Amino acid sequence: MITRKGTTVIFSTVMLIIALLMLFPFLLMVVTSLKTMGEIQSPTFTFIPKHWLFDNYSVAMRRGDWVQYFSNSFIVTAITVVFSLVFNSMAGFAFARLRFPGRDVLFFSVLIGIMVPAQATMIPTFLMMKMFPFFGGNDWQGQGGFGFINSYTGLVLPFIAGSFGIFLCRQYFLNFPRALDEAAQIDGANVFRVFFQIYLPLSKPILATLAIFKTTATWNDYMWPLIMTNTEQMRTVQLGLTIFRSETNVEWNLLMAATTLVVLPLVLLFLAAQKYFVQGIVTTGLK
Amino acid sequence: MNSAATSKATTPKSRRRVPIDKAGYLFIAPGYLVYFAFIFIPLLVGLYYSFTNYNFYSTPAFVGFDNYVRLFHDKLFGTAVYNTFIYSLFSIFPQMALGLLLAVLLNGKLRGRLFARVSVYVPNVTSMVAVSMIWLWIYDPSLGILNRALKTFGLDPVQWLYDPSTAMAAIVIMGIWKSIGYTMIVYLSGLQSIPTSLYEAAHMDGATKIRQFFAITIPMLKPTTFFILVMSCINSFMVFEQVNILTNGGPLNKTTTIVHQIYLRGFQDFQMGYASAMAMVLFVITLLITLLNFRLGNKGNDIDVD
Repeated sequence: MITRKGTTVIFSTVMLIIALLMLFPFLLMVVTSLKTMGEIQSPTFTFIPKHWLFDNYSVAMRRGDWVQYFSNSFIVTAITVVFSLVFNSMAGFAFARLRFPGRDVLFFSVLIGIMVPAQATMIPTFLMMKMFPFFGGNDWQGQGGFGFINSYTGLVLPFIAGSFGIFLCRQYFLNFPRALDEAAQIDGANVFRVFFQIYLPLSKPILATLAIFKTTATWNDYMWPLIMTNTEQMRTVQLGLTIFRSETNVEWNLLMAATTLVVLPLVLLFLAAQKYFVQGIVTTGLK
Repeated sequence: MNSAATSKATTPKSRRRVPIDKAGYLFIAPGYLVYFAFIFIPLLVGLYYSFTNYNFYSTPAFVGFDNYVRLFHDKLFGTAVYNTFIYSLFSIFPQMALGLLLAVLLNGKLRGRLFARVSVYVPNVTSMVAVSMIWLWIYDPSLGILNRALKTFGLDPVQWLYDPSTAMAAIVIMGIWKSIGYTMIVYLSGLQSIPTSLYEAAHMDGATKIRQFFAITIPMLKPTTFFILVMSCINSFMVFEQVNILTNGGPLNKTTTIVHQIYLRGFQDFQMGYASAMAMVLFVITLLITLLNFRLGNKGNDIDVD
């Protein structure tokens, strides 16, 4: 008969094996990024590098303008996150706590957006960005120029508010007690002060969840930058990585070094703020 | 404005305490305008384009249902729809089953469970581009670790991503690996909402752990399961990035998908009208799945939209 302690050991071992299996592709990525091409091509396979070649990272970063790619990704992610926090929380607050004619109809129309995948609207959205009047050399009819193509505005604008964020914030603000509004009204505070001085400071958890969700979505996005940009100057890290692959061809150590650096910021963020990653998924189910 | 004024007059008691906040419009304005301009309008514009022959260079002309008729006879699009279904079918069920298994395993108070949960979930926070690069290396025909392993066991190497019979399987396996963490996390939250008293009662009655799993856990997780199924369906119908990076739809169109076809027709051939018709088909499919969710999902005590 297996003792209780025995089963615990078995289960812990199984868990460890599963964890290592799931991590294996990442481990392979890191060890490959430290090998020489000679070792990678050698007929005898070695998992741990014989010589740790940290130079691969600096060599990889000098192929292509990686400083530019990383700063593009950081800028686009930061702007998207900041604006979406402000706009979504403001709209969510109004839909949850304020009373004005047409509120429910407007909110219902926002809900419709949850059912619209970005992939289904990418063509018209792209055309709208390209034909945005008066920008990027366009005339008032949106002709003649490139609109917001190859600009931060083009990469950011469609994502700074949306059904998901508004919905998430509204659900959170619905849970506040009515007494809070009444107390504020008695004190004579107007709606703006109520929102910025009472509600916002109390909504750090939902803002953190939304910020994490937006950071992941923006940093990891591939399709929208692929459509909206075509210059090296505007490339994000995800695009940079796909171009890097076609340029390095079979230099796996360099490709894996670049991949490691692209993955690293989000993995660190995840390790630091796991709670909010999980919260975002559990409350909404969205990836 | 008018309706509010009249309703205020007819039900003075209920409305008197809460005055109308005109500021509400100011609060929703920025967010709502962005939503309206970049989700709502594009949906309508896309619907309009799907009835035109718009090709990016000339002014669009109305062509009625021509695009939809062409879509119906388009063998390549048919293949793409078939591939998308195959991808969904073969990725959703394994990732749900494995996710449930891991959730049950990692729900206990075992040592190292946090490390295990983090390890299972990390692929899900990694970008599809990076994940594709890693698996490109794993699947590499000559130097990749999979073929090296096959060689060690004396087996013939497989051209994973270049062989029409294995390319889709290779993409499916990568997708399962990336998504298990997601199903596990949602199942974990479902597990934590099951009252422990149920298990205690079953234990008193002498039910084994396995019996408890099938008689309590599985039935109690029904809403969670349904919810994950719907979300996974929607997500797998959007499959594009890994296809575009790993195989570009090949070999022999074995891995091209609906979104991949929209991308190729719209942004490489510039047949914006035709591609918009494809996008509308995609929208209707996701709409049907979501509406099914609202209809069936609300019968249980749902954990999703509340």
